[in-house]
Amino acid sequence: MTRAYVDDVSAERLASLQEQNLELSRLAAELRNEAALRTQFLSNISHDLRTPLTAIITHGEILRDGILGELTARQKDSVGGIIGGGRQLLDMIGEILTYARGAAHQLTLTRTSFSIVSAVEQVCALSESLIAKKRLSLAVTIEPELPPLYADRDKIAHILGNLLGNAIDFTLPGGRVWINCSRGASTERGYVMLVEVGDTGIGIAPEHHELVFREFAQVDASASRQHHGTGLGLAIARRFVELHDGRLWVESTLGQGSRFFFTIPVRSAP
Amino acid sequence: MVPHILLVEDNAFVIGALRLLLEETGHRVSDASTLTDATRVLREDPPDVVLLDLTLGGEDGLTLMTSIDANGAARPIVVALTGHDDAATLERCTAVGCRAVLVKPIAPMKLKSQIAEWLGERGAT
Repeated sequence: MTRAYVDDVSAERLASLQEQNLELSRLAAELRNEAALRTQFLSNISHDLRTPLTAIITHGEILRDGILGELTARQKDSVGGIIGGGRQLLDMIGEILTYARGAAHQLTLTRTSFSIVSAVEQVCALSESLIAKKRLSLAVTIEPELPPLYADRDKIAHILGNLLGNAIDFTLPGGRVWINCSRGASTERGYVMLVEVGDTGIGIAPEHHELVFREFAQVDASASRQHHGTGLGLAIARRFVELHDGRLWVESTLGQGSRFFFTIPVRSAP
Repeated sequence: MVPHILLVEDNAFVIGALRLLLEETGHRVSDASTLTDATRVLREDPPDVVLLDLTLGGEDGLTLMTSIDANGAARPIVVALTGHDDAATLERCTAVGCRAVLVKPIAPMKLKSQIAEWLGERGAT
């Protein structure tokens, strides 16, 4: 082989590689553009769905609150159904949008310093009526003197809300649900806060422990029918935990309740 | 005098619901579905309170704040209406001078009592 021949082949290969490189960059840009368009589309759709729903709910609440005159008990029940259904739909639209943003890697953390106690209290207060309705008992145990978290408060509350919502939905009337917060394992940079949300509900078979974190997963169709979510709650919770460099997992045996755990590294505000 | 509320919102059903609520609870209501219409009402019939939707078609509702500042009349209380109460939205609204950010759907009794409170503050100043 002559030197000139080798040079020719190298130049040819280089040109071909450069061409492939350009093509790859073009494809990557196209994909990024497509993902951005998809998220924008979902965001627009979500706004367009929410707006008329807002009007329906407000009209219902005007009637319920007696602003146009008192209603009979049965009329109130009926209007309550319109409001309840509307609010449930609104939450589901919100979850779908959050999921879409996560899938497009458009979620960011807004960190503040806050006490986990306040986030737990907020989430428990929101679930109070559901817990009473199913005659469940809710126990909260928080290790004394836990330091404040420097994390995204809305997202931590969202994670807690999704886990507690699941615990309530999948526990039979009269059962127990609980939230425990404690100091977890030590790490190179300090330690993690460990949060457990547990229940005495229907439980999850070991082969489904990872499946439940997959979007739109339905482990048990009959249980899912009673569960009013989008099938995105645990996928979103895991994404939010991972954004904080934490971990979310489940320990459960079918028929013997579930214990969901997540960790959030404790770091101090800059 | 009956308090005047300007509702800046582009969905007819939402306008209908809020107008009903506000009129039934003793307010006079004007509505505007575009920033141009809203600016005209601000100039011709200055309101006490503006309920401002953040998304008006393709327009950013908050740009109305410039017209309010340029208007010269007694500055109305501006309350943002939004679908999201995330930290970024709250910050954006407070930065341009919104008195509060309310997440839709707003509970009627809460809106009624908050408007009474804001009008009270306004009367006191």
